[in-house]
Amino acid sequence: MATAAQTKFIRPDGKDKVTGLGRYTADLTMTGMLHACFRYADHAHARIRSIDTAKARALPGVFYVMTDKDVPDVRYGPFVEDRTLFARDVVRYEGEVVAAVAATTPEIAREAAALIDVDYEPLPVVSDVEAALADGAPLVHEGWSGYSASGDVVREGNDASRSTIVKGDVDAALASADAVVKERYVADMSHAVPIEPHAAIAQWQGDRVTVWSSTQVPYIARSGVATTLEIPEGHVRIIVPHLGGGFGGKCEFHYEAHVAALARATDRPVRLVFSRSEEFFAPDHRREGQVIELETGVMNDGTLVARRGRLILDNGAYSADAPFFPQLAAMHAVGPYRIPNVSVDASLAYTNTTPSGSVRAPTAPQACWAVEQHMDSVAASIGMDPVELRRRNILKEGDTTATNQVLEPIGAAETLERAVELIGYGKALPEDEAIGVGCGWWPSFGGPSGAFVKLNGDGSGTIITGAQECGTGAVMALPILVAEELGMRPEDFSILAQDTDAGGWDAGASGSQTTFNNGRAVIEAAREVRAQLLELAEEELEASREDIELVEGAARVKGSPTKSVPITTLADKAQGDRLLLGKGSGSPPPSPDVDASGCTGRLGMETFAAPTFITHAVRVRVDRETGVCRVLEVAASHDCGVILNPVGAEGQVEGGVVMGIGMATLEGSIVGEDGRQRNPHLLDYKLQTSADAPPISIAFVDAPSPYGGPKGSKGTGEPPCVPTPGAIGNAIAQVTGARVHQLPMTPERVWAAAHGVDA
Amino acid sequence: MSHACTLQVNGISYPLELDAGRTLLTVLRGELGLTGAKEGCDDSECGACMVLVDGRPVNSCSYLALQADGREITTVEGLAKGGELHPLQAAFLDEGGVQCGFCTPGMLISAEALLRRNPNPSEDEVRLALGGNLCRCTGYQKIARAVLAAAPGANA
Ligand code: FES
Ligand code: FES
Repeated sequence: MATAAQTKFIRPDGKDKVTGLGRYTADLTMTGMLHACFRYADHAHARIRSIDTAKARALPGVFYVMTDKDVPDVRYGPFVEDRTLFARDVVRYEGEVVAAVAATTPEIAREAAALIDVDYEPLPVVSDVEAALADGAPLVHEGWSGYSASGDVVREGNDASRSTIVKGDVDAALASADAVVKERYVADMSHAVPIEPHAAIAQWQGDRVTVWSSTQVPYIARSGVATTLEIPEGHVRIIVPHLGGGFGGKCEFHYEAHVAALARATDRPVRLVFSRSEEFFAPDHRREGQVIELETGVMNDGTLVARRGRLILDNGAYSADAPFFPQLAAMHAVGPYRIPNVSVDASLAYTNTTPSGSVRAPTAPQACWAVEQHMDSVAASIGMDPVELRRRNILKEGDTTATNQVLEPIGAAETLERAVELIGYGKALPEDEAIGVGCGWWPSFGGPSGAFVKLNGDGSGTIITGAQECGTGAVMALPILVAEELGMRPEDFSILAQDTDAGGWDAGASGSQTTFNNGRAVIEAAREVRAQLLELAEEELEASREDIELVEGAARVKGSPTKSVPITTLADKAQGDRLLLGKGSGSPPPSPDVDASGCTGRLGMETFAAPTFITHAVRVRVDRETGVCRVLEVAASHDCGVILNPVGAEGQVEGGVVMGIGMATLEGSIVGEDGRQRNPHLLDYKLQTSADAPPISIAFVDAPSPYGGPKGSKGTGEPPCVPTPGAIGNAIAQVTGARVHQLPMTPERVWAAAHGVDA
Repeated sequence: MSHACTLQVNGISYPLELDAGRTLLTVLRGELGLTGAKEGCDDSECGACMVLVDGRPVNSCSYLALQADGREITTVEGLAKGGELHPLQAAFLDEGGVQCGFCTPGMLISAEALLRRNPNPSEDEVRLALGGNLCRCTGYQKIARAVLAAAPGANA
C-alpha cells in the first residue's frame, strides 16, 4: 500500500470543477427566489437622524425593506461585542449596512436601495491609526466601555486591544550594544481577494432556516445567525456549496443573518451576491494596515541583544477577530530569532474604515516585511552579510522565545540554508538585479474538530466531516489518512462536508488547521472502524486481532497472506449485524509551556504551538528609471513538519508566494481622508497574473513536531505568504541602495526612495 | 425592448427574446442555466466569465448577448465530449492546477483558445495567453504546467 506521501493526489472534487458543472453559492437558484441588495452608509462616520423607506417600499417588485428596527436588539463580535446587523444610530464606515431590500430582481433591489432616504449628521472621521490614539481624538465608539468583551482584551477608548511582550532589560541591552538601528515602516490596508465574491441564500422550512453560504467557517456562521436572530443553533443549517477561495476574507459570520431575516419576512428564499467592489469595502475581513517602529541592538559579532517595538494596527470600525492581532504581531516583531531582551508594545486602533480580520497569516506578512528589512539594516550597521546575521541568530532546538517557550526540534536554520542554496546566493548578477532573503514563522492552531467514518455494505467508505474545503485540498486529502488506517485506497471514500447538520463542529477553513485538527479527527474515527473490522475478522479468520493487519483492501493474518478476507466481505457481513461506524474528535495535542509573565493582553498567541519556519530568497530586477520591480525567481524553503500531501503543499506554497509578491509590489488600498477606499475594484487594485508570476522552486524541510498534527505535520496554508514581501524589500534596497518604508512598494515609492524624495 | 435572437451554445440552438442591454454572461447563467462561466469582477478584469465566441476568448460579462447572435459559443461545459474529459481538463487535475476552481472555467477556455491557435506554445507564451485570467489560489505554476502538458504539440 502506498503511503500518504507516495500517493498521487487527484482531488475528488476536481471533475466537478473542471467540467463547470460544480455549483458555487451564486450558481444556485430556488423557486420563488428574491434578490437582496444593501444600502450602505453614505458617510464613514455620521449620526443617523432618520431613515425613510417609503419610496423604496412603493417600488413595484419590492417585497421588503429592512432596517435595525426589524431585527432583535443584539450586539455581537468574537472578542468585543461592538457590532449590530444593521447600523443603529451611528454609521462608522462606508460599508456599514443601513438597510436591506428584497425584490424580484437584483436590478429592482438595487434601485430600491438607492431610493431609501437617510438623513445624517456627519461626525469627524478618524482614518489614521496614530491620530486615532492621540489625546483628544474623537471616539469611534463613544460607548466602548459598555460593550461586553472577553476578559483578556485590554481596551481603552480607540485602542480596542493592547498587548505587550517584555523579556529581560531592553534599555540596558541597547545601551551596551555595539550598534543600534532604529526604523519606522508603514503598511497599507490590503485584501484577501478570493476570485469568488461573497454570496448567501436563505430558505425557511417552518421555524428552521437553511443558509447556503460562501463561508470558510460554517459553524461560526451558524452561531452568528442563531445569536443575532435569537433562535436555537439547531434551527440553523449552513451548507457551503463549492467555495471559490477565501484566504480569510470569508472567515467570521457575515451576511447569513441578513438574508435569513429577509427570507423570514418575505416567506421567500432570498439570495445575496456581492459585486467585486462590495467585496473590497463591506465585509469585516480586510488585511489591516500597520505602523511598525523597531529598534535593535547588535554586537559587532552579529549577536542580537535587544529589540524594542511599537506597533499600531488598524482595527477599522468594528472588532472582528482582530483583537488577538496585537499579540500575534508582537511575536512577529521579534521574529524567528534569539533575542534575550525584548519589549514590544502593540495596539489595535479603531478607525472609520472597513474592519480588519484574519487574512492568510494575519499580521505576519506586514510585520515580517518590516522586521526582515530591519534585519538587513542591522546587518549593514555592523558590515555583516545579511544571511550571516540571520544564520547567527535564527532559532534552534532548545532556544527560548520571547515568551520563554523552549523550542522542540525545528528546521528554521535548514530553511535558511536550503533557500539560499536553491537560489545561488552570492552568484554574480547584472547590476539591476539582486537577491533578497527573508525568514518568518507561524504557529499551528490546535483545537477541537469532529468527523465520522462509515463503511458501506459494498465496502466503500464515507467520511462525514465538519471541516471546510476552501480550495487548498485539505478536506479533499482526508481520504488519504483514512485509507491508510484501514488498508484501503483513498478513492474508496466519498466525502460529505460543509453541512452543519451532518458533520461535527470544526473551526472552519482558517488558521491552517484543517489537516492539523480534522486530520486527527478522521484518523481517530477510522481507528474505531479499524477495531470493528478487526473484531469481525477475528471470527472470520480464527486468529486474534494482534495477528491481523488491514492491507490492500483485506484483513490478513500477518505472515500468511493466503489467510485473508476482503474488507468488502466484512462490510457486507456487518450490514446485517454490527454497522461499521466510527467517530472522532481527536483531542488537540498538548501545548508547549511558556512563561508569559512579561506579557499583557494575552489572547493565546504567547504560545507558538508546532511553529512552522520559512525562508524565501528572491531574485528581483529593479528599473531605476521607473521604479518598476520584477521578481524573476523565488526559492522557498518551508519547515511545515511532515508533508502529507505533496501536491497540496506545493500548491499552497506557490499560491502564497505569488500572493506575497502581490502584497509586496502592488496590492494596497488607497484610503481618502473621508475614510473611503479609492480603489475598490480590480482595475486599480491589481493582482499578480500568470505573466507576472515567476518560477518558484521549493524545498520542504521535514521537522516532525511532538506538538504537531497527524504524523508530526504542521499548518501549511498560511505561512507561504509571510516572508516574501520582506525578501523583495531587501532585494530592492540592494539594487537601489535605498529602503522603501511603505507597503506596497509601488513603482512610485521605489523610485521616490531611490531618488531621495517623499512618495 | 427585447429582440429575438438565436444563441448557438456548445452545439445547441437556443431561441431567445432578449433586452439589448443583457450581457452574454447573465444570459448563459440565467436563461440557459450554464453556470460554468463565473462572475468575479465588475470591470472585465478577472476572466472567470470567459467563453469562446467563434473560437475567440471573450469576457462574457462585457459582451452583449445580442452580439453573439448567429455565432458559435463554447463554454466550459462544452469542452468534455461524450463523458470524456478534454485533455486540458485532465491535465489540470493531473498537475494539481485546480484548487478552489473558481478561475478554472475561464482558465480552461483561455488555454483552449491558445492551443487551437498554437498547438506547441512555450511556457512564456502560455503565461502571456493566460494573463487575463486571475487565479488567487495556485500561483499559476501548476496551471502553466498543465497547459504545456495538454498541448498537442508537446508529445509530437
Ligand atoms: S467577470 Fe471578471 S472579467 Fe468578466
Ligand atoms: S483555483 Fe482558486 S482562483 Fe484559481
